Amino acid sequence: MTEALLVSNVLLWIAVLALGAVVVALVRQIGVLHERVRPAGALAIQTGPRVGEPAPVVEADDLAGAAHVVGAPVADGRDTLLFFLSPSCPVCKALLPVLAALARGASLRVVLASDGARQEHEAFAAREGIALPYLLSTPLGLSYRVGKLPWAVLIDADGVVRAQGLVNTREHLESLLEAKAQGVASIQEYLARERAEKGAA
Amino acid sequence: MLDPALEHVLRGSLALLLASGAVQKARDFALFRAAVEGYELLPARLAGVAAALFAALEGALGAALLAPARFGLRPGALALAAALFALYAAAIAINLARGRREIDCGCGGPAAHVPLSGWLLARNAILVAMALACLAGVAQRALGLVDALTIAGGVAALALIWTAVHGLLAHAAALARMQEDV
Repeated sequence: MTEALLVSNVLLWIAVLALGAVVVALVRQIGVLHERVRPAGALAIQTGPRVGEPAPVVEADDLAGAAHVVGAPVADGRDTLLFFLSPSCPVCKALLPVLAALARGASLRVVLASDGARQEHEAFAAREGIALPYLLSTPLGLSYRVGKLPWAVLIDADGVVRAQGLVNTREHLESLLEAKAQGVASIQEYLARERAEKGAA
Repeated sequence: MLDPALEHVLRGSLALLLASGAVQKARDFALFRAAVEGYELLPARLAGVAAALFAALEGALGAALLAPARFGLRPGALALAAALFALYAAAIAINLARGRREIDCGCGGPAAHVPLSGWLLARNAILVAMALACLAGVAQRALGLVDALTIAGGVAALALIWTAVHGLLAHAAALARMQEDV
C-alpha cells in the first residue's frame, strides 16, 4: 500500500511540474505574440505627421528660456531627434543616458519635450542632470499627436519626418535612426517589404 | 503546527523569491530606482538609497532563510520578510488609492511592465501568510526521502506558478493598453 502511494505520488509530482512548465511556456508564447503585434520601434500608431511629410513647425521655449523652432529646415544639416517625455515615466528616465550619448554624436540634435507645470519639470531636469534642450509646450505634443510616452520623432535637416514611434528601449531608439537610414516608415512597412522580397525570390 | 516538509516548501520558496528578486533589482538597478521614485512616497533624494536598501535586504533575507536552524536567523528573517511584503503591499495600496495604476510595480524585472492592481495586494497577502505560517511553529518529525521529493517538487511548482502569474499580469496590462489604442 505504502509503495503504491509512493509510486502514485512520484507520478503526480512529475505531472504537476510538467503542467507547470507547460503553463509557463504558454504564458511566454502569449508574450511573444504581444511582441509581434505590439507597436514597437519605428511603428506609428497615431495619425500625426506621416513619415516623409514635412514636420509641423512649432515654436517653443526651453526651460532656460531660449526660443526653439521645431520642424523647420536647419542650415547645419543635422537631424533632430524630438523626444517626448514626462517626469512620471520611469522608462523615459531610464532612456535619458542613451539620449545624452546620442546627443554627443555630431550628426544629431536631441531635443526633449513635455508639457505641464513648470516647477515639476525644472525639479526633474535638475534632479536628473539634464543638459539637453528641454521644451515645455502643449501645442508641440498636440501637433505631433503624441498619445503614448516615451514618443520619439526623427526630423531631418529639411524639416521632414523621417521616423517616429513609441520607444521603450535603447534598441527602439536606435531602430528609429536605422529606419531613417533604410528609408522605412514603420515596422509594418519593413515586414511587408521583407515579405514581398521573399515572395519575389 | 505546520508539518516540517510544508515548512521547508514555504521557506524555500520565500528564499528563492527574495534571492531572485535581489539579483533582478541589482542587475537592473536604474529601473528599480525609477520604480521606487514612481511610487512617490519618498523624497526623490532618498529613492536611490531606499532602492539599494530594499535590494540588499531582499538578498540578505533570502540567505538568512536558508541558513541552518542552529544559527537562529530564521525566525527574525521570516518576521522581517513578512514586514517587507506588508510594506510593499502598503506602498501599492496607497498608490492604488491615489488612482495611480499606471506606474510600474518594480517587481516584474526589466522584461515586463507590471502595473499596479488589486492582484498584487492579494499576492503580497499570500506571501505574508506564508512567512507567518512558518513562524507559527513546526511539528517535529523525521524527514525522509519522500519529503525531499515533496520539498523539491513543491518549491519548483510554486516557482512555476509565480512565473506564470507574473507573466499573465504583465500581459493583461499589455492587452488593456492595446484595447485602448484600437
